[in-house]
Amino acid sequence: MSAHTMSMRDALYEAPGPRTKRLTVIGTIVSLALVCVGLALVVRQFYVTGQLDAKYWAFFARPTTWLYLLNGFVGTVKVAAMAAVISLVLGVLLMLARTSGIKPLAFVARVIIDFFRGVPSLLLIYFFYLGLPTVGIRMSPFWMITIPVALAASGVLAEVFRAGVNAVPKGQTEAALSIGLTPGKTMFKIVLPQALRIVIPSLISQLVVVVKDTTVAYVVSYPDLMQNGRVLITTNDAVVSVYLVTAVIYILVNYAINQLSISMARRSGNPIISRTTENPT
Amino acid sequence: MADQTPVIELRHVDKHYGDLHVLQDINLTVHKGEVLVLIGPSGSGKSTLCRTINRLETIDSGEILIEGEPLPQEGKALAQMRAEIGMVFQSFNLFAHKTILQNVTLGPIEVLGIPKAEAASRAMELLRRVGVDAQAAKVPAQLSGGQQQRVAIARSLAMQPKAMLFDEPTSALDPEMINEVLEVMVELAREGMTMVVVTHEMNFARRVSNRVVFMADGQIVEENTPDEFFDHPKTARARDFLDSIKGH
Repeated sequence: MSAHTMSMRDALYEAPGPRTKRLTVIGTIVSLALVCVGLALVVRQFYVTGQLDAKYWAFFARPTTWLYLLNGFVGTVKVAAMAAVISLVLGVLLMLARTSGIKPLAFVARVIIDFFRGVPSLLLIYFFYLGLPTVGIRMSPFWMITIPVALAASGVLAEVFRAGVNAVPKGQTEAALSIGLTPGKTMFKIVLPQALRIVIPSLISQLVVVVKDTTVAYVVSYPDLMQNGRVLITTNDAVVSVYLVTAVIYILVNYAINQLSISMARRSGNPIISRTTENPT
Repeated sequence: MADQTPVIELRHVDKHYGDLHVLQDINLTVHKGEVLVLIGPSGSGKSTLCRTINRLETIDSGEILIEGEPLPQEGKALAQMRAEIGMVFQSFNLFAHKTILQNVTLGPIEVLGIPKAEAASRAMELLRRVGVDAQAAKVPAQLSGGQQQRVAIARSLAMQPKAMLFDEPTSALDPEMINEVLEVMVELAREGMTMVVVTHEMNFARRVSNRVVFMADGQIVEENTPDEFFDHPKTARARDFLDSIKGH
């Protein structure tokens, strides 16, 4: 368990020697140069084909453009936040069912988890958008995008939580049981809180996936950032500029999620490095 | 010192791990106030035996009685019984995400329903008794192994147990920390705690225990007072074992 005290990089690679250091410097310079050349080529191509012309960018000076993008942004945040909450709750429930030790329940949970993990979220969205109305179930575009995205994420999250629970040393459970906690309290007071901290990095990646999944909201005509961006593209006849700006906004959002989770992990953070060893005789 | 009220009784207990017959027809009674030491080579089944007493290990057949009542198999009754029997593990198993104080107050608050403030003041008293009260606000990873194990003992004591199980409590400790843990255990024994101790600490066994039970290959091979056992072992297995650990 002492590996926790090292960073993953320290654990995987030994400290570089002089030759490796030299190679690293050369490699860095070469790859930086390649990136610069690539960027220059892209910008040049944009310039040559006229994508940098004022007409493709002028409408970004109008507040209405940004207001419209802001509306889309708010839509994205709403869907992503709701989908995240639903998938987190559902993920925990599915994980609890799967690890319950009650065979039929565990089996059902496993089937559900594998189904949602295996089916592309776009297919789920089509099911809610085109499939359900044929049997008389109608819902607003908001839910038609939120529920499928949440379901797809919940399958993955259930497995993430399960990995976390399995990573908590068995001795923690035994100690909790031995002071008279019920199995339920042992899970919620002792195992899950530690499991959550272990899986925070995977949770962040999955939240980012949720945000990215919401971009197919245009399928159900929900006005998220992507959908509103597409509208801007048609009204202003500008593809590259709008997509570039939209991409930057998505990157900023996902970067913010990363930073938020890291600071959350730090704040919640008693160091939970365990000195314990697991070797009962 | 020990009276004759049985606290823990095992009758014809059998357990298999696959083909391995890890506990073979175990019969054992621990009386009130008695300190019973379980020794034997590794793989002899002594840890397993210790862990069956609060059902961290299940048994295949036989009976385990706690104060004359059969050991509950599940649910509230099992949790209740576990609360009444303290357990100290080889690897301490302090709750890694809780402070030292929270480790000791969790059981009393969640299981016994004692108000937080009262639980905290009693926990501090116990931590003072085992000499780690100054560390109360830290988390387990910040403590030495010896300190962690003393906290683990305090955590068990906070439940006011009828008996305590020690599963190789000093085996994971650096040599210089073994004594600080043993001293706490000696103190407990003196106060009349009923104890089952799996250990390799022969000096502790000799000085503190009322009875030594020697196990090998899943069986109880020999059972005697510590002086008799260490000075005049009756069986060849016990003699071999004692010879092999001499000088330690």
